[in-house]
Amino acid sequence: MSTLSTTFTWQDFLLMLQGAGITFFLTIVSGLFGTIVGFFVGWGRCLGSKLLLYLLGAYIEVIRAVPLIVQFVLFNSFMAIAGFPLSPFISGILTLSIYISAYVAEVVKAGIESVPRRTSMAARGLGMTYLQDFFHVVLPIGTRAVLPSWTGLMLGLMKDTSLIAVLGATPPELLRSSQIIITRIHDPLLILIGAGAFYFVMCFVIARLSGRYERRWQREQEALQ
Amino acid sequence: MIIIDGVRKSFGTLEVLKGIDLTVEKGEVLCLIGASGSGKSTLLLCINALEPIQAGRVLVDDIDVHARGTNQNALRQKLGIVFQQYNAFPHLTAIDNVALAPRRVLGKSKKLARELAEHHLAHVGLGDKLHHYPSQLSGGQQQRLAIARALAMEPDYMLLDEVTSALDPELVGEVLDTLRLLSDEGITMIAVTHEIPFAREVADRVAFFHQGVIHEIGPAKELINSPRMPRTQEFLGKIL
Repeated sequence: MSTLSTTFTWQDFLLMLQGAGITFFLTIVSGLFGTIVGFFVGWGRCLGSKLLLYLLGAYIEVIRAVPLIVQFVLFNSFMAIAGFPLSPFISGILTLSIYISAYVAEVVKAGIESVPRRTSMAARGLGMTYLQDFFHVVLPIGTRAVLPSWTGLMLGLMKDTSLIAVLGATPPELLRSSQIIITRIHDPLLILIGAGAFYFVMCFVIARLSGRYERRWQREQEALQ
Repeated sequence: MIIIDGVRKSFGTLEVLKGIDLTVEKGEVLCLIGASGSGKSTLLLCINALEPIQAGRVLVDDIDVHARGTNQNALRQKLGIVFQQYNAFPHLTAIDNVALAPRRVLGKSKKLARELAEHHLAHVGLGDKLHHYPSQLSGGQQQRLAIARALAMEPDYMLLDEVTSALDPELVGEVLDTLRLLSDEGITMIAVTHEIPFAREVADRVAFFHQGVIHEIGPAKELINSPRMPRTQEFLGKIL
């Protein structure tokens, strides 16, 4: 009954809600993988090895230059040809992770470079090793500097997850489920406004979470009276 | 004892240290004076291997600092260093700034490291600023924080690199007072400074640097009151 109806039904709402959940899941998982990979790529470029700097730089440039939608198709086909056919959903997550890792790497590098050399020298001067300095001094200071940029990347990633639709990935994420409903009830305006509202709520949650840390760190720096 | 033997150091084609020979005894306070760019600060960084050298040797308690296989991290625990620009860790409160290295490097428990930090902060007169972030402290307080941070590693030597140069004049006194305290306690210090009266008062010996070499060295009062070399006379004449 509901599948033939031309009005917006409770079922449709549930489909969109599920789509929003998938979008959120795609963002969290690929954001996590992408941040881990991007962290090492960005760190690797700061180790002082020219070879690593350029090699990893090439990785970043290639990924940033090729449109994401092309990467989805290429990666999916490549894996199939290479004898490791993946489900469109898994293939999509991996592509998104690789894609965002290139941008995360640049943010990580900027964060590391934002820490003055002399701050590190002070840490090393106390007898701290390179890794102790990196994890207890450089990383916390750099993170504070680039958290807003990283949050921006994650919000962009959330919207980019909709491109996974080119692979016909199931279950459908938010935009794909909206399109399915639009095809049936022919009221794109209403549905797209609804989809927009879902995206907004999810982005808002992420932005607020990140903002909480920013404010906490800012309070550290305000004068105690 | 620190023995510096024929040390040469270049940045690219610019030779900053052109063969430095110097011996610093335990308990001694040595001040390095001279014009900017004469190599004084670079020498400090070469003593604790924050900068590599091109020739010569630095021996700290008979350990060759720059030799292959020397554990420089372990060595630096003995050599506290304080910089002109304080370089406090901006993300940590005063107490955590001081406790970080004892905790991570010496492996002290969190509680013990914080007790140690509290002790050293009180020692430099910051006992009431334990939970302030560096941004909430004045320049003089940040510099005393940096001194406490170095002292918390219980070093045998302190290397002080123009520790009052970045301070407003009215804050210089409080930092110099802290250094007097250390010298009274018998800590070995090598201090790069432009505070000639301070050097005369506190130092055992003073070395005058000129163009990458030690131009003149001698007992503090003697060298400052009656320098022998024309260059030294000229420098002191300008600065005093």
